[in-house]
Amino acid sequence: MLILISCLSFFISALVLVVLRIFQPEARYTWLVAVSGATVGLLSVFFWLGYLPFELSVQNWQSFTSNSLLFTGDAISFPFALCIAALTLSILLTAVTQPVYINTTLWAGVLALAGVGILAVTANNPLTLLLVWALLDLTELIIHLSSVSGAKNNEKVVISFSTRAFGIGLLLWASLVGVTETNNFIFESISAHSGLILVLAVGLRLGVLPLHLPYATDLNLRRGIGTALRLISSASSLILLGRIPTGILDINTSIFLITLTLIAAGYGSWMWFRSPDDLTGRPYWIISIASLAIISTLSGNPQGAITWGCALILVGGALFLTTVQNNWLNRAMLFGAWSISTFPFSLTASAWLGNLGLFLPFVIIAQAFTAAGFIRHTLRPSGRDTLDAQLGWMKVAYAAGIILLIFIQILLGLIGWEGTMQIRTWLQALSASLLTLGLVWARRRFRIFNPVRAHGVSANNARLESFYNILWSLYHLLSRISKGVTQILEGEGGLMWSLLFLILFISIIST
Amino acid sequence: MSSPILWIALPFTVGTFILLFINEKYATWIGGTLCALLSLTAFFIPIDTALLLGTLSIKIAPAVQFFGRSFELNTADGALLTIIYGVATLWFFGAQVSGTATRFVSLGLMIISLLTASLAVEPFLYAALLLEVAAMLVIPLLLPTTQKANQGVARFLIYQTLAMPFILFSGWLLAGVEASPTNIGSTTLSGTMLSIGFAFLFSVFPFYNWIPSLMEENSPYASGFLLWALPTFTTIFALGFLDRYTWLRTSPQLINALQFTGVFMVASGGIFASLQKHIGRIFAYATIAETGLILLAFSIQNIDIVILTISILLVRGIELPTWALALSILKQNSNSLKFSDLQGFFRKFPIATISLIIVHLSMLGFPLLAGFPTRLAIWQLMANISPTLLIWLFMGAMGLLIAAVRTLAVFVMTDEESNWKLNEGWVQITMLGLGVSGLFILGLLPQALNPLLKHLPALFERLSQ
Repeated sequence: MLILISCLSFFISALVLVVLRIFQPEARYTWLVAVSGATVGLLSVFFWLGYLPFELSVQNWQSFTSNSLLFTGDAISFPFALCIAALTLSILLTAVTQPVYINTTLWAGVLALAGVGILAVTANNPLTLLLVWALLDLTELIIHLSSVSGAKNNEKVVISFSTRAFGIGLLLWASLVGVTETNNFIFESISAHSGLILVLAVGLRLGVLPLHLPYATDLNLRRGIGTALRLISSASSLILLGRIPTGILDINTSIFLITLTLIAAGYGSWMWFRSPDDLTGRPYWIISIASLAIISTLSGNPQGAITWGCALILVGGALFLTTVQNNWLNRAMLFGAWSISTFPFSLTASAWLGNLGLFLPFVIIAQAFTAAGFIRHTLRPSGRDTLDAQLGWMKVAYAAGIILLIFIQILLGLIGWEGTMQIRTWLQALSASLLTLGLVWARRRFRIFNPVRAHGVSANNARLESFYNILWSLYHLLSRISKGVTQILEGEGGLMWSLLFLILFISIIST
Repeated sequence: MSSPILWIALPFTVGTFILLFINEKYATWIGGTLCALLSLTAFFIPIDTALLLGTLSIKIAPAVQFFGRSFELNTADGALLTIIYGVATLWFFGAQVSGTATRFVSLGLMIISLLTASLAVEPFLYAALLLEVAAMLVIPLLLPTTQKANQGVARFLIYQTLAMPFILFSGWLLAGVEASPTNIGSTTLSGTMLSIGFAFLFSVFPFYNWIPSLMEENSPYASGFLLWALPTFTTIFALGFLDRYTWLRTSPQLINALQFTGVFMVASGGIFASLQKHIGRIFAYATIAETGLILLAFSIQNIDIVILTISILLVRGIELPTWALALSILKQNSNSLKFSDLQGFFRKFPIATISLIIVHLSMLGFPLLAGFPTRLAIWQLMANISPTLLIWLFMGAMGLLIAAVRTLAVFVMTDEESNWKLNEGWVQITMLGLGVSGLFILGLLPQALNPLLKHLPALFERLSQ
């Protein structure tokens, strides 16, 4: 019931905004309606704490199988739900400084996305997650297709949708493999084999396995709904890692996948560190943090994926929503660097509890580049208006939006889940932090660390294209074979071929 | 009033009347409204049960004799009639775009009534003849009177006609098998004959080569209607055989053959669809893959076989009219349905293109859409039987996904900064909207079908035990 209350508060607010847009397009209180709805949503998620764990299920979803829909509020879904609710409120609070702040349709979109996002993170069986993923993907497809222009951007949207759809296929495949092995269609009973396929599904949706950029860097949707789409959709994928039972995956069963993920983490963090601005680098932020989450899971610590998932939304959200310059807020945002440092009592304190073996140094390097990139983008003052130019209430609302995300980082670091206050990985945290400080220091002193130009960010992707060209050639080969078969069967002699098959069929059966 | 007169003779007569006297403008409304009324009647008024309205007692008699043959539609047939005439309503209301609404509606009504007669006729082997007559009526539906039969149409008729001798011969043999079930020779022979007959009727590989040709050469709407109507009634006809003959439904050879053929059709349909550059042909291969799915449903040794099979047919009854309608709208506004002629259509016909993609996704089993629940059930059952079969089923679904993505990429491919336009008419938008909404509703809440499906097992009692 609590899940329904939280989701409905977002959905109803979105609906009210749409109704206002239609019947009272000049209404000046739409922002208040949106913020009120998001506040109720956030508070309702806080209430979960007193009742965890709890369930919401729809039995006999289908008449001819025993499949049911299951949503669960538990230690895995609660932090994600809290992050999504906080991000939504933060987006609406910081929207006051943006020129499009009268656009109620976008706010309705953000609120609806939050509702779907909460459904996604509470989904506790493959069927439920499949349905919510599909809903998110179709929504994202339609939003993007209706907002981008130009052949290249449209193509990127279609490619992004197709990779995510293949991710859905992998989740389905993993679940059906689970059915063959354990005769159950639930997360609790999946095998190591299915677990690896689930990791692949998440990797594919987030652009990590194989490494690719699922989202274009130059799509129109930048701040606000763009941030909501990117981060909520990533959280809906990362939740799956948290659902993989602890202990079924370890470093020995997944060396190959860890290697591939490390490459993605290295590439993502390097590009993030060198990207010219935070929004251009946002796809790389997602790739690098998602890679770290996947590595945590593959090292036998699925809980690590939850910590990185929360960091992705809260730390990234605060940065991507920053549109105006204020020194105090910038300093406060540096708390995000602490959150991703993996130090004891930080948000990611339990990130590296698994066994990373010889991969540990490389993971620390990727983590350090990500953190250094975050510090660089946080302290970059150019190109932003100052907060002082805004009206008084706007300053307060805007600052509250950013501080809310920082507050949730602190809160989740202390009470987010069991075993938050870890002190076991302080040495890794120290190494990563020292390296981060070194990179921040070296950034202006070594040319190699200089930011690349905006157009150079996408140029590097061309290196990945050779792999896709091979697939394309294979496709053309298959196409030629298919054309040959079709010409034979649909041509003048097709009937004779069919009858020949018929005779063969009869002779096979009769023997 | 008897049920065969209401659901067979009446639509046939109205169809003839429309063909002779009614112009195109009213044909759609008359045909659509009649089918809607017949569907609602079948749903609300039970056959062979007295219904008291105050002092008035209404009873629809179940049978009628015609030239020594009996036509029977019982209480159990009510749900099936609701589905058939409900789907026919969608087809006829959407016929406005077909360009030949008078002929489409009139011949369509006659075909539906003949096919319904095939369900009702006793002895049931006469159904094969009625199916053949319906197949012959499809020819004028597909071709204008002045046009010569093209390759797809000719092959369709050849294969449907070839099916008849096999089915009738097997029926004659089956009478002998019933008398002496231990005679393995005649059992094998009758089983083989029956399988070949149904292979032609269902157009299994390699007899499906007429379907892509048909979709390429003829009106997509009329061809789509054919691809819905005949396989639907053939499926019910085949369920009748399985229900009647115990040795047939328990035969391991038949089950293996059905699984092999079904999987081959799903996989080949999906793979071939992914390699096409004509969206009509993609539609054709998607229907082929779905027919494969029906064959797989037949092979399931489960009490839910009837509900599962009819669910596939019901969902197909929403998917095909919507897809065919979208194809017709696009064809009327472009030179052909080739990829090269459809670039940038997303901004010119947003409702038609997005509906087409959603139906396509539903037919591959994309979650949240109506095609998903039935496919999920089949995938789960197949996962328990053989993981190898599952791999091939997945390859088919992935092939269809590639085809959907390629089609979408073509629709949105435009260099010019073209503005959004809504070129579809309001009837078209309504029909497409209804179809797509139906797909989402049944995808999210498949149990919404329960009121219709719960009576179906009574239709095939032995299969459902």
